[in-house]
Amino acid sequence: MVQINFALKEVNCKIVFYGPGMSGKTTNLEIVHQKAPEENKGELTSISTDGDRTLFFDFMPLDLGNVAGMRTKFQLYTVPGQVYYNSTRKLVLQGVDGVIFIADSDPDKIEENIESYQNLVENLAEYGKDIRELPHVIQYNKRDLPNAMSVEELDKRMNKFGVPTFEAVAYTGEGVFPTLKTLAGMVLESIDRMDSRSARKPAAQPAGGRPAPAGGPQKPGAKPTPASKTPANARPATAPAPRGQANAPRAVAAPGARRPAAVPPRAPAPAAAKPARAAAAPQRHGSVGLVITLTVLLAAAVAGAVFFFTQNPV
Amino acid sequence: MAQARKMSANEKLRHDRLTFYKDDVEKIDKLLAEFLRLSGAKCALLIDKEGHLVTKRGELRTIDIDTISALVAGSFAATKEMARLLGEEEFTAMYHQGERDSIQLSLVGDRTLLTILFDDRTTVGMVRLYANETAKKLAEIYTVAMQRTDPDQPLGEAYGNDAKKRLDRLFD
Repeated sequence: MVQINFALKEVNCKIVFYGPGMSGKTTNLEIVHQKAPEENKGELTSISTDGDRTLFFDFMPLDLGNVAGMRTKFQLYTVPGQVYYNSTRKLVLQGVDGVIFIADSDPDKIEENIESYQNLVENLAEYGKDIRELPHVIQYNKRDLPNAMSVEELDKRMNKFGVPTFEAVAYTGEGVFPTLKTLAGMVLESIDRMDSRSARKPAAQPAGGRPAPAGGPQKPGAKPTPASKTPANARPATAPAPRGQANAPRAVAAPGARRPAAVPPRAPAPAAAKPARAAAAPQRHGSVGLVITLTVLLAAAVAGAVFFFTQNPV
Repeated sequence: MAQARKMSANEKLRHDRLTFYKDDVEKIDKLLAEFLRLSGAKCALLIDKEGHLVTKRGELRTIDIDTISALVAGSFAATKEMARLLGEEEFTAMYHQGERDSIQLSLVGDRTLLTILFDDRTTVGMVRLYANETAKKLAEIYTVAMQRTDPDQPLGEAYGNDAKKRLDRLFD
């Protein structure tokens, strides 16, 4: 749940790295912590077991800086991946604003990936969230494995909703930032969209849409795979654009943007109608006058004839 | 999932977003300052259940607020599961005792946690007594605040464009 705090002038969002055990969620966060500029990052806190497996969560605040007068911060969390830690995973998902799903490219892990993704869908549903409406991306990690599954096959098995996907080798840092950048952009875009949805007054809206804050051009390291094969109509209205289109400028709040465009043509219509009605009015008055004149003349003629015959009886 | 679909746009906005306005936070700050004076505690933090700080009062020189907020929210969430196993909906208060410094947590409304840091200059009894009173008064402020509708585009139109530039700067 996004927190907007006008007293502190802050916007806070929660992003969760989700995925099966050992897929590289904590590694992603560690790389973000290593690479992020000092002034933007907070401490990386891990609640893990002695064996370095995440027990509860890893946490790191990432400060985007001052955005239009509001300090915007992302709280980054990972969840424990092992199946038996589901109640802990569910707790970390509470109030989530965006999810990065880290999938393992190892062919032996495909069933674990699918099971974990399904688990994500179910846990979100318990909080009343529909994954299709939640900003999320998928990262195919461990692309350096010699027997890594092909991206096409992973897409087919994993990417049911045509969300942006990224290839990564997390421990080298490859693909980590592009994944986070795109998801962060989608989260901020969803805040913007919520704003536009709440501001439904057409007069208050600009005629054109604004470019989305979604991620800019991807680095070569991200190796974004070809555009998704998922048909556009398979995605819900709020779902992000598929890979390849994710970086294209998009109009924020399409419903809000379309409405004002439809308004101006309607506005001049009443003004144009007024003169037409005004012109029609004198015509109507003229024809009534003509009828009255003819009636008076006819009455006078009849009266004259009656008077004539009464004075001059045959 | 069905629950999500049934929500109206306004309900969804409230579900997905927590907004605090300056006037409300000023009232909250006054209450917290008064609480610290009465209880003798060092510091009071109000955080939401997602671990984001709402406001703070008191001494906080050496504490990383982001981290403590996240950890407090995490530990509170964990006790909720414990409560559920006992047949309770959730525990409304928690206490972590240290050798010198301690933390008392109280649930305020259904979305925020009053987190009090105190040391041996006061007692847990004093802190709990005044924390309960303060939590009730805070809940009254929330009730009024919740009835207010958000203004159109509270973040302004420049937010989206500026966010994109900031993302480019941070990640490129």
